[in-house]
Amino acid sequence: MARKPLVLGIDAGGTMTDTFVVDENGDFTVGKAATTPHDESVGFLESAADAMSYWDGDGRSLYPELEVALYSGTTMVNTLITRRGRKVGLITTKGFEDDVLMGRGMQSWTGYSYSDRIHAVTHVHPSALVDRRHVHGVTERVDVFGEAVIPLYEHEVEAAAEELLADGVEAIVVHFLYSYLNPEHEQRARAILAAAIARSRRGGDVPVYLGSDLRPVIRENSRLNAALIEAYAVAPVRTQLEKVERAVQSRGYRYPLQTVLAYGGLCNIRYPRLHETLISGPVGGVMGAKHLSALTGIDNIIVTDLGGTSFDIGTITAGYVPVEPEPVLARFKLNLPTIAMENIGAGAGSYVKVDPVTKKVQIGPESAGSTPGPVSFGKGGTTVTITDCDLVLGYLNPDYFLGGKQKLDKELALRALKEQVTEQIGVDVYAGAEAIVRMMEREARDAIRAVASARGLDTTQYTLFGYGGAGPLHLAGYTEGLDFGGVLTFHFAAAFSAFGCTTADYQHRYARSVHLGLPPGCDAPAKLAVAEAVSRVWSEMEEAARAEMANEIAVAREIRFTQLAMVRYGGQLSDLEAVSPAPRLRTAADVDRLIAAWEDLYSKINSRVARYEGAGYQIFELGLLASVEKVKPRIVRQPLGPAEPARAAHKGTRNMYWKGRWQPASLWEMEMLRPGNRIAGPAIVEHPATTLVVPDGKCVEVDEWNFFWLR
Amino acid sequence: MASYPKDVIRDLIDGKLPWQTTKPIMSDFKDERRFEIYLEILQERVPWKERILLPVGEHLYIVEKGAARIVKCDCGHEFGPYTENWKLEALVYVRDDERSLDEIYPGARKCDPGWMELREYYCPGCKAQLEVEAVTPGYPVVFDFVPDLEGFYRDWLKKPL
Ligand SMILES: [Zn+2]
Repeated sequence: MARKPLVLGIDAGGTMTDTFVVDENGDFTVGKAATTPHDESVGFLESAADAMSYWDGDGRSLYPELEVALYSGTTMVNTLITRRGRKVGLITTKGFEDDVLMGRGMQSWTGYSYSDRIHAVTHVHPSALVDRRHVHGVTERVDVFGEAVIPLYEHEVEAAAEELLADGVEAIVVHFLYSYLNPEHEQRARAILAAAIARSRRGGDVPVYLGSDLRPVIRENSRLNAALIEAYAVAPVRTQLEKVERAVQSRGYRYPLQTVLAYGGLCNIRYPRLHETLISGPVGGVMGAKHLSALTGIDNIIVTDLGGTSFDIGTITAGYVPVEPEPVLARFKLNLPTIAMENIGAGAGSYVKVDPVTKKVQIGPESAGSTPGPVSFGKGGTTVTITDCDLVLGYLNPDYFLGGKQKLDKELALRALKEQVTEQIGVDVYAGAEAIVRMMEREARDAIRAVASARGLDTTQYTLFGYGGAGPLHLAGYTEGLDFGGVLTFHFAAAFSAFGCTTADYQHRYARSVHLGLPPGCDAPAKLAVAEAVSRVWSEMEEAARAEMANEIAVAREIRFTQLAMVRYGGQLSDLEAVSPAPRLRTAADVDRLIAAWEDLYSKINSRVARYEGAGYQIFELGLLASVEKVKPRIVRQPLGPAEPARAAHKGTRNMYWKGRWQPASLWEMEMLRPGNRIAGPAIVEHPATTLVVPDGKCVEVDEWNFFWLR
Repeated sequence: MASYPKDVIRDLIDGKLPWQTTKPIMSDFKDERRFEIYLEILQERVPWKERILLPVGEHLYIVEKGAARIVKCDCGHEFGPYTENWKLEALVYVRDDERSLDEIYPGARKCDPGWMELREYYCPGCKAQLEVEAVTPGYPVVFDFVPDLEGFYRDWLKKPL
């Protein structure tokens, strides 16, 4: 049967490139190939060809049909981490030249494991992206109200420009204090720089970035980091992305290549703030969950992604996805709104080690990549991983890992496990392996519990989604003892993040700091003033969005705007983003409606008793989401069939070790199960890319969407 | 368990290892034979033959001399039994006035000599600076470290001293 592929998702990790091809019926296929860092298009074409091989096609037949090709990868993060970016110059307010060296105190330990965090001897500041010699301070000052209290000393900008150009910088960032309130000095500096660059022998090849253009949002160090990262790391990545785009277009793809934004949306690779795509890995999963939420009506969700190296947790409450306004990336704090995710360093590839002194077993935080991988891969990995334990316990099928493409060597795993772990602590190898797996699951469970309590969620009102290659394998374990409305996984669990990326719309997000207050009991004229200020900012953002999106999206489609306001009670330290019920605020009543919408969301998230109308309200930031719809995978609802699965789906039995004893588990092929089917544990449901363990006393039911409920 | 080649440990001692390599070593469990290799490297660098039992400072070691265990400088100068404070046998220079403190901490950066003084200890043999104390005037000479050598070898290294 000829298939019509619509969406191609590419996820280039450090070692492997995954591709995800969706056809018009919502069917999908997954491909894998080694990542090729020198030219990523090579690895990705191979990966896509691998995906198509399951559909009896090849890469060739794929591209002309595609509506969307979208790419997410770790190149930009790697450019940052390995400090292989551009030579950047910085012109900043005089007296603040050392900000790039000082950074934020927390940048010296952020991203560390718990044990490293408490051992200050390991703390070290990340090295600056700009050489201190390429930082020039110029005299100027804009105050906190946006008034220019010291004019820009233009001759100092000129002198700085001459020096930076003579030093051979490849990009220049202009970043003045409070420029988000008044960008005039930065804009004037840009004009001076443009003239200097034109005069210099190098012609116009030195791009200039303004802090006020890139991120006009409060917090100097974070927005400086964002601007520097854009100047430093984006250009090499854009070159890579252009190569990938040429590769797909030369094979018949008709549109620009798309990539994924940290707050869940797509943009094309010419987007002027490409650093917003830096954090996109776990974001895909949340977007996928949100898509399924709209489809199925499940609107309170806890998403959990158990991959090779980490366990990520996100939440969706009443369809609302919380945004982290100031995340940390490659140990830099930057104000880039990102879908809020928590994670712990525990995954299927996590190393299992025994402390030689205390004999305490430790899982992670380091992990084996896909090469050499776990011991059982037989590719030279020598340290025991969780995957090796899963194999020894009979959860994994040694001949069906990645559909049999990666054979697993049980003897090798067993021997390493004995030598490195169980003999060290003097326990039976199987009991020890199970204890380790349960320990990892307990860590994951504790992390879910911590997120639920930190965000004030009542888990019984939430459905837990478990995905990631190893998600279904440990789902029963890490949800045990937690009370959810339901526990759900998917036959595409291994590629859920890539799937999620294919469900996103084109979307740009704009933000600007403001300073607006609604004191308790304020009158209508005061509200009207706020309404006018808010509407003016929204109008300006919409204009900017129209101009940018017209340049980017070839197909003219309607832009849908969502107006946002970050509101807090007077005196609070953090705010919550509310969607405005109206596109503009025209009357005092409109302001009341916006506040009411915010308060409604606030009470859903923080409970009703947390309301505090008496404090009045403050708005420190306004935002705008501009979206254009695109084709998405279609997941089809099917009628429920019999509870008894088709006979052909039954593959036999395998012994698995659970709660201290071996028990025969019935073995099933996941792709052959149909809506309505019900399988009682102990059972193992296998898919080429994932394995679902159903313990004794539990069962799995396939619903009308072909999703798997663990009950 | 991790173990590292001798030249990695040598670079670690000399502070020549890049941070990306140093950090994982610091964060991992202590590697097998680290102490042994560490002593080997130190032993190769000193011009004398007495066996090093434990380093106690940048230039100082506790060594085995006949039946005695003494503190010895890498230049060969011997301070006496490790159970007594080697500082009492060292040269000392005390910075306890504005002028002498100003050489190290100029202007407003320096301490008030009425509240704090700096005592610098030097080797009588090679004149290397061995240690600096920052203490209140009149404070007794600080005895930095009396290791439990027997316990360390018996319980942690699990070998005879
Ligand atoms: Zn000496």
